[in-house]
Amino acid sequence: MTSPEPLLQVRDLRVQVGERTVLHSVSLDVNAGSLVVLMGANGSGKSTLGLALAGHPAYQVLGGQALLAGQDLLALPAHERARAGLFLSFQSPPDVPGVKNNLFIRTALNAQRESRGQPPLDAFDFLTSAKQAAKALGLPEAMLGRPVNEGFSGGERKRNELLQLALLQPRLALLDEIDSGMDVDGVRAVVEQVRRQRAQGTAFIVVSHYLQMIEQLEPDAVLRLDQGCIAETGDLGLARHIAETGFASRTAPAGA
Amino acid sequence: MNPSQAERLAARQHLQRQGWIARRSEAFHHLPPPELAHWLGQPEADADADDGNAPALAGAGWTLHPLGHGGAHGVDARWLDALDPAQRAELLAGLPPPGDGEAAPFVWAHRALCRQGLRLRLSATPGQPAAPVVLQLRHQPHQRAEAPLLVLEVDAGVHCVLLETHERTAADGAHPVTQNLHGHIRLAAGAHLQHLRVVAPQAQDQIAHHLHVSLAPAAHYAQALVATGSAYHLQRSTVQLSGRGARAQQAALLLLDDQQLDHQAHSDLAAAHSASAVESLVLAQGGARAVSNAYTRIAAGADEAEVRQRLSGIPLGGQPRLILRPHLEILHDNVQAAHGATWGALPADALFYARQRGLDEASARALITEGMARAVLERSLGDTELLSDWLATGWLTQRMARQARQRAETPA
Repeated sequence: MTSPEPLLQVRDLRVQVGERTVLHSVSLDVNAGSLVVLMGANGSGKSTLGLALAGHPAYQVLGGQALLAGQDLLALPAHERARAGLFLSFQSPPDVPGVKNNLFIRTALNAQRESRGQPPLDAFDFLTSAKQAAKALGLPEAMLGRPVNEGFSGGERKRNELLQLALLQPRLALLDEIDSGMDVDGVRAVVEQVRRQRAQGTAFIVVSHYLQMIEQLEPDAVLRLDQGCIAETGDLGLARHIAETGFASRTAPAGA
Repeated sequence: MNPSQAERLAARQHLQRQGWIARRSEAFHHLPPPELAHWLGQPEADADADDGNAPALAGAGWTLHPLGHGGAHGVDARWLDALDPAQRAELLAGLPPPGDGEAAPFVWAHRALCRQGLRLRLSATPGQPAAPVVLQLRHQPHQRAEAPLLVLEVDAGVHCVLLETHERTAADGAHPVTQNLHGHIRLAAGAHLQHLRVVAPQAQDQIAHHLHVSLAPAAHYAQALVATGSAYHLQRSTVQLSGRGARAQQAALLLLDDQQLDHQAHSDLAAAHSASAVESLVLAQGGARAVSNAYTRIAAGADEAEVRQRLSGIPLGGQPRLILRPHLEILHDNVQAAHGATWGALPADALFYARQRGLDEASARALITEGMARAVLERSLGDTELLSDWLATGWLTQRMARQARQRAETPA
């Protein structure tokens, strides 16, 4: 019996930001419906991996490969990576002044639907599903009518990322410290949302330092990133060990 | 010669003696206005007017439309003929003299040419609940050179929401217009005016709008201006905060392709606990030339006054010339003041965020640019029904889409 082709395949990815090479060599596979937790000390390159895969113009890929469902992500502009099914939950989601949340998400969703040859959702249909999704996440309905992230607390911004995740239904979601700024109910909402979407086949890469949430997410793998390389691969035991002993006590990757 | 004719002649003679706006004028030297002759019209037309052969008033260029549920309760509107001595006296009653400021020649030119005007008074209606009076004022030019006048008085405690539009379609824009419009707004104690102004001339029009606003104690004036460029376009407002606790917010959204627009917002805080905020956003492209000039003076004795000026400009394409000039003159110690000017690109983080959600570059830019434009208007007027209704007409979206099309069609 052969295992299915991984949804995401990253090979020897090297990324430079400004004058500094942040990712030296990152390789990883993520299967559809699976969940990989990425841990690492500050500055180890976790956010860089997400932003580079998403196509941020400040993150220059020096070499390597990233395939999403066999499609060469690195050859695509940022919006086409999103349309191919890559969703990045930002560590610090920015404000988009004057653009109401529901308009922003509906415009994005319809852009993605159009690229798949699907008809656009009208405002009424979209709002109905957006209200349901917001309610499930504990996000006040009024936030749909407010400008994107403007005046939102840290936790509200993260819930808003979850709302977009729920409505955009990506194939692969990279959640960069989604738990930071979240209260207990928010973390529970993350876990439930991830569980629902995993069951539908969405794959996840979750960057987090929060062991309790990591345990609830039931990851398939835990990776430790150190100095731009995958230094260790393990399971929940690795996450528990890191939570107990910290990053400083762990050895640098061989050859790094 | 009747007193009206005499006044008009005297204004012309004054201009001949004193001359037009000086080229070195601090307020006007970046975008000097066209010569005086443009603002005085054709002598034949003036002679016709004096002979009583002028076109019928037909609403004096202003038409008034009550909106909302309150109707026109408490609204007293009088269309007045400035060529008639008695009506002219009524029209100009209580207005300040032209003075000798930098913009005074425009006032003299207005006195020389003004033929019509609207005087509007909003009063509280005894026994009626204090619901806001919601009005729309439309102005259509009637002559190639004209000097319309609007006087608006809002009585104590009255809340008015006003949409003022000056739009010209291509059909009625066959002949360029030169328009020297003056508006005088007086808010009595505790009065509140939310004022959305939309001024969209044709490309060859020459427009100068002067708004003079005076605020009594605890009065609140909020203006959001949407203006597009033309061959010459001046939007100048002067707000006098002479009452304790008076507040003024002025926001301007300036949209330019290849034309000009000179935005001047002056505020004078003369009372304690008064507050003024001026914000502008210039979205310009091509060979546009835009000036946004905020000048605020805090007088001695204006204890705990608050002032904020935020001017920003974004070149959308081509090589527009944007000049942003925040000025503060502070003559009292115990005040708060902040000002700044930013000229730069669209926010890169928001652009990438939108693209990461699946919007292509052009769609992301359009969404964010229009969002910034809406935000400027909403910060001044708040979440009013009038503003949301106006935004829902799609005017702004269509206008900005037109800008984007022009950018796309212009070779790099």
